[in-house]
Amino acid sequence: MAVDVAMSAGHGHGEDARKRRTRSAAEIGVYAFLFFAFAEVAIHLATLALNHQSGVTLAVSEAVATSFSRPDIVDRNGRLLATDLEAPSIYVDPGVVLDRDELVEKLATVLPDIDQKELLRSISDRSRRFIWVRRGVSPKIAQEVHDLGLPGLSFRYELKRAYPSRKLAGHVLGSVNVDNRGLTGIEKYIDDKVGVDPVHSAVLSSRAPVRLSLDIGIQHALEDELITGEKLYRSNGAAGLVLNIKTGEVLASSSIPRVDPAWPTQALDKKHMDRMTVGTYELGSVFKTLTIAMALDEGIAKPDTMIDVRQPLQVGRFKVTDFHSANRPLSVTEVFTHSSNIGAGMLALQAGTDKLTSFLGKFGLLTQLRTEEGAVSPPQLPKNWGRAETITAAYGHGIAVAPLQFAAAAATILNNGKPVHPTFLRKFDSNASDEKPIISPLTSREMAHLLRLNVTAPDGTGHKADVPGYRVGGKTGTADLPKAGGYSSKSVISSFLGAFPMDDPQYLTFVVLFEPKGTKGTHGQHTAGYTAAPVTGRLIARIAGQLGVAPMTVAATE
Amino acid sequence: MRLLNVAAFFFAISSALLLYGLNYDTRRLEAEVHAKERIAERARDDIAVLKAERGTLARPDRIDTIARQIGLAPPRVDQFVDGREVSLNEQQDRPNGR
Repeated sequence: MAVDVAMSAGHGHGEDARKRRTRSAAEIGVYAFLFFAFAEVAIHLATLALNHQSGVTLAVSEAVATSFSRPDIVDRNGRLLATDLEAPSIYVDPGVVLDRDELVEKLATVLPDIDQKELLRSISDRSRRFIWVRRGVSPKIAQEVHDLGLPGLSFRYELKRAYPSRKLAGHVLGSVNVDNRGLTGIEKYIDDKVGVDPVHSAVLSSRAPVRLSLDIGIQHALEDELITGEKLYRSNGAAGLVLNIKTGEVLASSSIPRVDPAWPTQALDKKHMDRMTVGTYELGSVFKTLTIAMALDEGIAKPDTMIDVRQPLQVGRFKVTDFHSANRPLSVTEVFTHSSNIGAGMLALQAGTDKLTSFLGKFGLLTQLRTEEGAVSPPQLPKNWGRAETITAAYGHGIAVAPLQFAAAAATILNNGKPVHPTFLRKFDSNASDEKPIISPLTSREMAHLLRLNVTAPDGTGHKADVPGYRVGGKTGTADLPKAGGYSSKSVISSFLGAFPMDDPQYLTFVVLFEPKGTKGTHGQHTAGYTAAPVTGRLIARIAGQLGVAPMTVAATE
Repeated sequence: MRLLNVAAFFFAISSALLLYGLNYDTRRLEAEVHAKERIAERARDDIAVLKAERGTLARPDRIDTIARQIGLAPPRVDQFVDGREVSLNEQQDRPNGR
C-alpha cells in the first residue's frame, strides 16, 4: 500500500514536472510571440520615423492673404486667352532676419524697384511674422532671390493670371488685381456671374473655361488692320469691331492703342481706354443709315422719292450744307449715297422730333447698353429736342453714342429688323431670336440694297471698301470734332459701317479712325471714304474667307 | 478552461496585431494617395504651363509674321474655286486611256 502510495506519489511528481515543462514551453512561446510582435511594432515605428517628412509649417501671427482661382478664358474655338499659373511670391519673416540692412540692400539688387525704405520700416517691426515683398514673380527672379541665401526670406506659391496672347483683345479680357480678382472686362464678369474660388495656395480652378464669342484669328486681323490704318493715316487712335448680325456675337473688338491685360494700370490711362465701349462720339453720317431707315419704315419716303437739297437748311445761326453739293434734287437713294446732310435733315424734319426719338429709342440708342464686358457709356443726348437737334441728329451730330451701341443698332436694321443684342460670349443656340422685328423686313432689304449701292455706285462714298466677290455694303461717316465755339473740320472722326455679303447680311464691321490725316494716296483727303473705307476693305478681304463667306463666283454656282 | 484562456489571449493579441496592421496599411495608403495627389497637382500645373506656352507660341501675330516670311498670305478671292469646277477640270485634263 505504502509502495503504491510511493509509486503513485512518484508518478504524480513526474506528471507535475511534465506539466511544468509544458507550461514553461507555452510561456516561452507566448513571450517569444509577444517579443516578436513588439519588435515588429518597434521596426514599423522606426521606419515611420525615418521615412516621415515633416511638412513645412508656417507659423504666422497675421492673416495670410487669400488668393482666388479663376476659370480659363478661351475664344470661340477653344484657343486659350487667359489662364492661371503657379507663380512664386516672396515674403519675409522679420523674426528670423539677422541683418535687416543687408537683406534690403541685397534684395534691391534683384528687385531694383522695391521701396527700400518702406520694406526696412516693415521688417523693423519684430512683432510681425509675415510681410509680402513681391507677389507673382517669375521663376528666374525667385531663383535669384533664393540664391541670395538671406535668412528670413521665404516663398509661397500662388496663382497668377497669364495672358498667352499678350495684348490681343486686351480691352475685352480686362484685368485682375494681385489677389487674382477681376477688375474690369470679362475678368470682372467672371467674378460677378461665373464665380471664382478662394484658395490659400496655388490650386488651379476646376471650373469649365469661359468661352468667348471672339475668334482670335479675326481679332488679330482687325487689330493688325487698325494699327496699319492708324500708322498710314497718322490718326490719333482707332477702334473697330466685327459682329455676327444673326446672333449678336462680337467676333472681334479692339481699340488702338491696345492694352496689356497683365498691366492693369495701363488701362487707367485715358489714351488707352476702350473707345468701342467707354467713349461716346458724334459719329456723323453713318447715322444717316438710321434716319433713312426711319423714313422708309414710317412710309415718309420711298427710295425714289425726290428731295430738293439745293438750298442749305437754316439751323439757328448755322447753315446745314452738303459736303458733296449736287445742285439738283436728289432721290432718297442718292441722299444716302451722296451722304446729303440737307436731305437727311429734311427727312427727319418731315418725320418730326417725336418719331425720330421714338425710332432711336426702339433701337436702344437713348438708353445705356450693358454687355459682359461691362456697362457701355450712356449716350449723350440733347437736353431739349427741338428743330435744330432733330436736323443735326439726322446726320449724326448733337447725339454721341458708343460705337458698339451704334453697331448693334445698325445690325438690327440688317437683321430683318430683329433686335441684335451684342454679346461677348459664344452662343451655342444659333436659332434666330423670336423677338418682334422693330422695322419691316422690306425696309431691312431696302437698306441692305442702299448700303450695297453706296459701295458699288461710281459716285457712292464707300466704293473704296469694296472687295470683289464678297458683296460688301456700307456707309461712311466723317464727323467734325467739337472745339471751343463750334466744330473743327480739320480734326474729324472718320468711320465706316460695313456689312457683307449684302444678299443676306451675315457680318457687320465698324471701323473708326480718330483724327486721321490725309496722305498722298488720299490726295490729302481725310474723309471716311478715303481712310476708314479702305481699312474696312482690307479687313473684309482678310476675314471673309476665315468666316466661311464664299466669293460671288463660287456662291453663284452653288 | 485554461486552454480557452490561452486561446482567447492569442485571439486578442492576433486581433490587436491585425487591427494595427490594418491601421498601418490605411495610413500607408493614405500617404500613397497624398503622394499621388501631389503628383497629379504637379502634372496639372505642368499642363497649365504647357497650355500657356502653346497659347504663346500659337498667337496669331507670331504665326502671321512667320507665315509671311515663308511667302504665305491671306487667301485672295481668285483662289476660291467651286469644288465641282475643280473635279470637272481634272476630268478634262486627264489623258485618254487611263
